Amino acid sequence: MSFTHQEILETVRMVELETLDIRTTTLGINLLDCADPDLESTAEKIYTKVMHHARALVETADSVATDYGIPIVNKRIAVTPIAFIAGACGSDDLVPLARALDAAAKEVGVDFIGGFTAHVHKGYSSADRALMDSIPQALDETDHVCSSIGLATTRAGINMDAVHDFASVVKATAERTADRGALGCAKLVCFCNAVEDNPFVAGAHIGVGESETVLNVGVSGPGVVRSALARLEPEADLLAVAETIKRTAFKVTRMGELVGRETAHRLGTTFGIVDISLAPTPAIGDSVADILELIGVDSTGAPGTTAALALLTDAVKKGGAMASSSVGGLSGAFIPVSEDQGMIDAVKRGTLTLEKLEAMTCVCSVGLDMVAVPGDTSVDTLVGIIADEMAIGMVNHKTTAVRIIPVPGKGPLETVEWGGLLGTAIVQEAGKSSCKILSARGGRIPAPLQSYRN
Amino acid sequence: MSRRFYTVEDLHRAGGKDVWVDEDTIVTPQALEAARAAGISIRTQAGNWVEPRPDRGPDAGRAAKHLPHLPEPESDNALSATTVIVTVVGRNRAGVLAEVTNEIARQQANVHDITQKMVESYFHLMFVVELPSGSSFDAFKQALEGMGQEDYVVRAMHEKVFRFMHRI
Repeated sequence: MSFTHQEILETVRMVELETLDIRTTTLGINLLDCADPDLESTAEKIYTKVMHHARALVETADSVATDYGIPIVNKRIAVTPIAFIAGACGSDDLVPLARALDAAAKEVGVDFIGGFTAHVHKGYSSADRALMDSIPQALDETDHVCSSIGLATTRAGINMDAVHDFASVVKATAERTADRGALGCAKLVCFCNAVEDNPFVAGAHIGVGESETVLNVGVSGPGVVRSALARLEPEADLLAVAETIKRTAFKVTRMGELVGRETAHRLGTTFGIVDISLAPTPAIGDSVADILELIGVDSTGAPGTTAALALLTDAVKKGGAMASSSVGGLSGAFIPVSEDQGMIDAVKRGTLTLEKLEAMTCVCSVGLDMVAVPGDTSVDTLVGIIADEMAIGMVNHKTTAVRIIPVPGKGPLETVEWGGLLGTAIVQEAGKSSCKILSARGGRIPAPLQSYRN
Repeated sequence: MSRRFYTVEDLHRAGGKDVWVDEDTIVTPQALEAARAAGISIRTQAGNWVEPRPDRGPDAGRAAKHLPHLPEPESDNALSATTVIVTVVGRNRAGVLAEVTNEIARQQANVHDITQKMVESYFHLMFVVELPSGSSFDAFKQALEGMGQEDYVVRAMHEKVFRFMHRI
């Protein structure tokens, strides 16, 4: 036999017991040709083009999953930032375009469609402004649409006016969707150094340098890494830990590469990237926090957590980069608080605070993700939290994001249930102090110097 | 070139009983509905308009040509596209091997290789199986994985999964 018992059992165990799956196959669709002077016609074209290209997505992904015996959990769509195409119609109300995306997503059976997006890291176009103002209503009235805003880049700096606007949009979205635990905010994210081939929501969209259509894949695998580390003897040193994670990440990424090639081929489109991020789910054991605790911190958030996360993120990237020539997207380790049972437990224990999470984002692949804060958190406090996170990304040449949910009527340590992949959040203390004057100053934090890097 | 969309607005602008579009034009569902309601036929030179196959863009042709030829991990044997690996894990008792091979035979699949290993009172049984051409892997998988339940578990996965995971 060409494979050993050990190899075969390892693979079967990963799928059956350790929740190895392909988290998402995301079809990117360029919508630039949908621009039209008439808003209704733009919406009509958007709906039609998404339907035209994505009609076979779910069926194709399911057929690949069946043929190879690897679960593909989500099928998603990412489109050109809507602000790029909305300019032609000159409308201030872009909600009809979000409705068109939502209708198409429902029709083709995907769980999310990303791309109600604008990039305003340096300034606003009229369409960017219209999109930003349309977000609260769009996220309230749609189920599947995700929205993202680029607020900063290393080359441009941080647009603090836009940070303030975004914080206000987060608050308005929370108010509009208060009856659903501010669910709208779970579909809304801002970025520094936004990634244009990200297959994961809420930030999925397709940048202008991408192909007409492209199939991107996001793998999962925290459960597999956790089990591999659990089998390691306690006296194994950190090099052995890194090596174990690297080997496991290689194997997980190979599944993404196989599924990505095959799905793209069957759809007749281009294979874009494999995003090798460790993406946790609320399922027991499918947790990045559990991995950090196995590496050796008492509880996630305790001193040593940032170092452990740095080791994990780097080892995942090294293993993944060997396994695929098309690594892209965010690629690292996600730390979405509400979607990771280990993180939720750490918040309950009081070891994982917002401040420690911020420190962890310096070395993980994204940022403050799925963090619930009290509903009475002020816009100025949100501005401060977002600006701090953007600054980390800007100075360190990395992608950082904020997906924060000020839950109306909820205070610290209260619970919010969103269900499904979005999980359960424990509301975290955001502090009463803020940065009122900094926030009111507005303007732009200039791009950082690229040399003298200490 | 991008394909043109034909919208309700275009239909209103055109007027008349029949409208003519190119074969690769994409008529929106809304325009189709409006045309049907107004008794207007949307026609191409080849007859009534039907939705063209999706044009995935200029890079898609090259991808179609190159994707199947990307380097793959090498296999020791000459395995074909219909090779699957069947794993059986469970408590040892008389007749398990016979039950599983019987089902494989019933599915008209051919066993290429078989190995068994005992770990304490548990057995690990593995088959390399060749499915008959044109058969459905899904049906095979469901038939095999429906077996056992009580004292052993059967799993069937495509050989490529193992090759990608364990070979460079």
